Amino acid sequence: MVLKTLDVLGPLHGYGIARRIEQISGDVLTVNQGTLYPVLLRLEQEGSIASEWAASENNRRARFYRLTRDGRKHLQTEIRGWEQTAAIIGRFFAVKAEDLK
Amino acid sequence: MRSLRRFFSRLLSWATAQRDEERLQTEIEEHLALLTAENLEAGLSPAEARRQAALKFGGVEAMKESYRDQRGLPFAETLIRDSRVALRRLRRAPAFTVATMMTLALGIGATTSIFTLAYDVLLKSLPVAKPDELYRVGKEARCCYLDGYSQDKEFSLVSYDLYKYLRDNTKGFVDLAAFPATDMLFGVRRAGSSEAAQTYGGEYVSGNYFAMFGIGAYAGRTFTASDDQPGAPPVAVMSYRLWQERGSDPSVIGSTFNVDEKPFTVVGITPVGFFGDTLRSTPPDFFLPLNTEPYVESEADLNKYGQHWLELIGRAAPGARPAAIEAEMRVELKQWLRSHWGEMSEGDRAKFPEQTLFLVPGGAGIATMRERYERWFHILMAVTGFVLLIACANIASLMLVRGMERRRQTSLSMALGARASRIVRQDLTECMVLSLFGGAAGLGVAFASTRLILHFAFPSNNGLPGVPIDPSPSLPVLLFAFGVSVIAGVIFGVAPAWIATRTDPIEALRSTSRVTARAGSLPRKALVVFQIALSLALLSVSGLLTSALHALETQDFGFEQDRRIVAKINPRLAGYRPVQLSQLYRRINDSIAGIPGVSSVALCLYSPPDGGWGSGVWIDGRPAPGPREDNSSSWDRVTDRYFDVIATPIVKGRGFSEQDTAASRHVAIINQAFARKFFDNEDPIGKHFGQTPGNTREFEVVGVVRDARYYTRGLDQPSGAFFFLPEAQADYTKSLGSLFLRDIVILTRPGASLSVGDVRQAMASVDPGMPIVSIQTLKEKVGLHFTQQRVIARLTSLFGVLSLILASVGLYGVIAYNAGRRISEIGVRIALGATRSDVVRLILKGAFRLILAGLSIGLPLTFAAGRLVGNQLYGINPYDPIVTIVAIVVLGLSGLLASIFPAIRASLISPLDALRAE
Repeated sequence: MVLKTLDVLGPLHGYGIARRIEQISGDVLTVNQGTLYPVLLRLEQEGSIASEWAASENNRRARFYRLTRDGRKHLQTEIRGWEQTAAIIGRFFAVKAEDLK
Repeated sequence: MRSLRRFFSRLLSWATAQRDEERLQTEIEEHLALLTAENLEAGLSPAEARRQAALKFGGVEAMKESYRDQRGLPFAETLIRDSRVALRRLRRAPAFTVATMMTLALGIGATTSIFTLAYDVLLKSLPVAKPDELYRVGKEARCCYLDGYSQDKEFSLVSYDLYKYLRDNTKGFVDLAAFPATDMLFGVRRAGSSEAAQTYGGEYVSGNYFAMFGIGAYAGRTFTASDDQPGAPPVAVMSYRLWQERGSDPSVIGSTFNVDEKPFTVVGITPVGFFGDTLRSTPPDFFLPLNTEPYVESEADLNKYGQHWLELIGRAAPGARPAAIEAEMRVELKQWLRSHWGEMSEGDRAKFPEQTLFLVPGGAGIATMRERYERWFHILMAVTGFVLLIACANIASLMLVRGMERRRQTSLSMALGARASRIVRQDLTECMVLSLFGGAAGLGVAFASTRLILHFAFPSNNGLPGVPIDPSPSLPVLLFAFGVSVIAGVIFGVAPAWIATRTDPIEALRSTSRVTARAGSLPRKALVVFQIALSLALLSVSGLLTSALHALETQDFGFEQDRRIVAKINPRLAGYRPVQLSQLYRRINDSIAGIPGVSSVALCLYSPPDGGWGSGVWIDGRPAPGPREDNSSSWDRVTDRYFDVIATPIVKGRGFSEQDTAASRHVAIINQAFARKFFDNEDPIGKHFGQTPGNTREFEVVGVVRDARYYTRGLDQPSGAFFFLPEAQADYTKSLGSLFLRDIVILTRPGASLSVGDVRQAMASVDPGMPIVSIQTLKEKVGLHFTQQRVIARLTSLFGVLSLILASVGLYGVIAYNAGRRISEIGVRIALGATRSDVVRLILKGAFRLILAGLSIGLPLTFAAGRLVGNQLYGINPYDPIVTIVAIVVLGLSGLLASIFPAIRASLISPLDALRAE
């Protein structure tokens, strides 16, 4: 989700990412925003995202995260994998009892 | 790939932890500020806005913690932190630390020193290029000369002719090298110097020997094929060891050395650490080309087709399968044998179909020592492993006590939310730190004890370098010690740590001093039982080995040892020719007999307990023995006083006398085993026999002597057939190795003392150039035969005593601790009228229950151990009840000793004190 957000919106700071995920999910996912940071760290360690200090929109120092090329590749595979999973699950839900007879 | 990158970035951020911490703080503040701003915009009051923001963000500290776990290497960080805590804890308990480390150092040191030896003797490859490509012909190491054209079971030694045939026809080998199966000693001195010849190990090797091993010269050059040709200028390669001993003199290369008085030009020095093809106590210092053998030896074997005396090691061609080479060589062996059909005896021809050979991996060289010591090392490794286990049990027991004392602290930690795994890890880290320190100290112990064992086990005689085993730890030894330390740490750390976590926090915090006697003491009791069991097994094994040694040393040898001195000479090295020998022996005899204090002297080829020369025996008037019939006997050439000097009684007939001369009837004296083997119930006196089938009337038997122990075979074998020939009737016109008598046996007068200097002086007056190989008492010489047994027996006894002490200390610890914890109970008992002896009995009863349990578990273990060493005992019953009973009594007594003191101390408590202690 983080990767997709960054893919769509470009570089963002932590708060922005958290807000965005809330918005997209229609405020269904309202986890503690703090839990985002360990995830960001892990992604950065993997090299999927990079971060740098920059001035935020209201001129505060903020850390901006952006997707790296590796991260984009990672995102593609993740998306493909997820779509596959979703498709399979979807097929299972679509099956009705009489179809199996 | 991704996880690898993550690991590195973790490693990096671990190093920059401080900065990252600040960065996170800033980010959190920023996030909160933005959230608050948003809430303010939504119209909340500033305070409420902040509160809502904080709520939304969640627990900052918990998040930070999980962030940190993600960031650095928490495992390494905890490890370092735990190690620091452990060090601090250990520093605060110096007595405990020192005691534990010393126990560990002994345990690990013992194990490591045996491993050092075992590794060098059993596992190590020769220091040559790609040892795994080397293959050796022959499964068993045999010695040293085999005659004829058939060998039992396998062809393991070959003649020079057969070697050449195999070398030239086997395509699977890049190189096939040959060298003799015997240890050879040469008298060597530098040409032109006035020094007396010194004895050095030497070896004839084929020209491709060094090339086959893939080693070059340290300086100069090694041999080439052209050095190993008949008529090539005689050259030699000197060992690095000797070259260094002689001051690394560069002028040695190109200079001439006289080897057995034959000049050789030294062309090179072997590489550092190369000790030849065989690990042995006389590593060769001079390598000579095989083809110089006839040049040096008066009785050369090189060109005898049927004289097999060479070992073979070859380097397999890349990709060649050993099984294919083996098959190839078997065919060649048959072809070679068939080409010598005419020279073969009936027996050889009968055995022709079964003649075969085997290839075995040869990277370790000719593993004579391996075969001889392998079993011993297994036994010793097991024994030291047991000692280490007992040591670990002691330490585990101590750790349990510490854990008990730390219970409150542990409970507190757990009450504050520490996870059990965290506490176990902390305790284990402490054990690891302890055991690694113990291991480091153990390495020191191992180095010292390895040197000591080497010194006792392989006593170097008379300036020969001794077995080339280096006591300093090599990499595998270091790894072994490290591994053992870690394993030991886990063994003694895991149980106490696990038990520590099982404390119920509330229980521990509530009860301060009133603890029931049973709680927590079961694991310690189990440890003590286990220690006693192991200790019993070790004690009885050492008892068995010691009594076996005692039986060996005090057996009926058939000769006297007191007041007898044996001087070993080597007339061959001094350049004597057979025709001069008779004269020489007489002069030696007279010269030594003239020393004051000498009662009588005899010269002989072999003095007991060394073996004899081998020979076949053909009895006159009997049909020749069949091809599979054993007609072999050992024999010895002696001067006429020999049986008086050595004090072997003549049971029938007469001994040798001065009337037995070259001109008179050739006579022989046989031992009882010879009489039994060849003459059954007949009277052997007056019978004739010979050493060749064609001459059965060669000797007339004039006397029978008692069997004496000449160890031609194993120590546990009965005396074999033996006959003695008088020196005066030796045929000095022939060139025979057996003409060179080697031992001078000297009998001194009662009360007289004879110094080595006297003997040397007497010898020097005969010939100052005669090398004296050794001078020792017959007792020492006999003792040398049991060196191996003695070292093993002493080592196991040492380990047995060590285990006994450790087990007693363990028992003492448990009894004393339990008695201490039962003080209040004892106080109550005494107050209620129990007497002191009741209290002592109470404590001792507990102790004896432990000892009895240990003994009953130990007994089957003891019998298993007896089986393990059974065939090393030379006829001693491996289940010897006396040894077992003695071991049980010793263990019981030391157990009693260990528990009586705490028992008495407990009984001396005044009930008032005991009750006040609460």
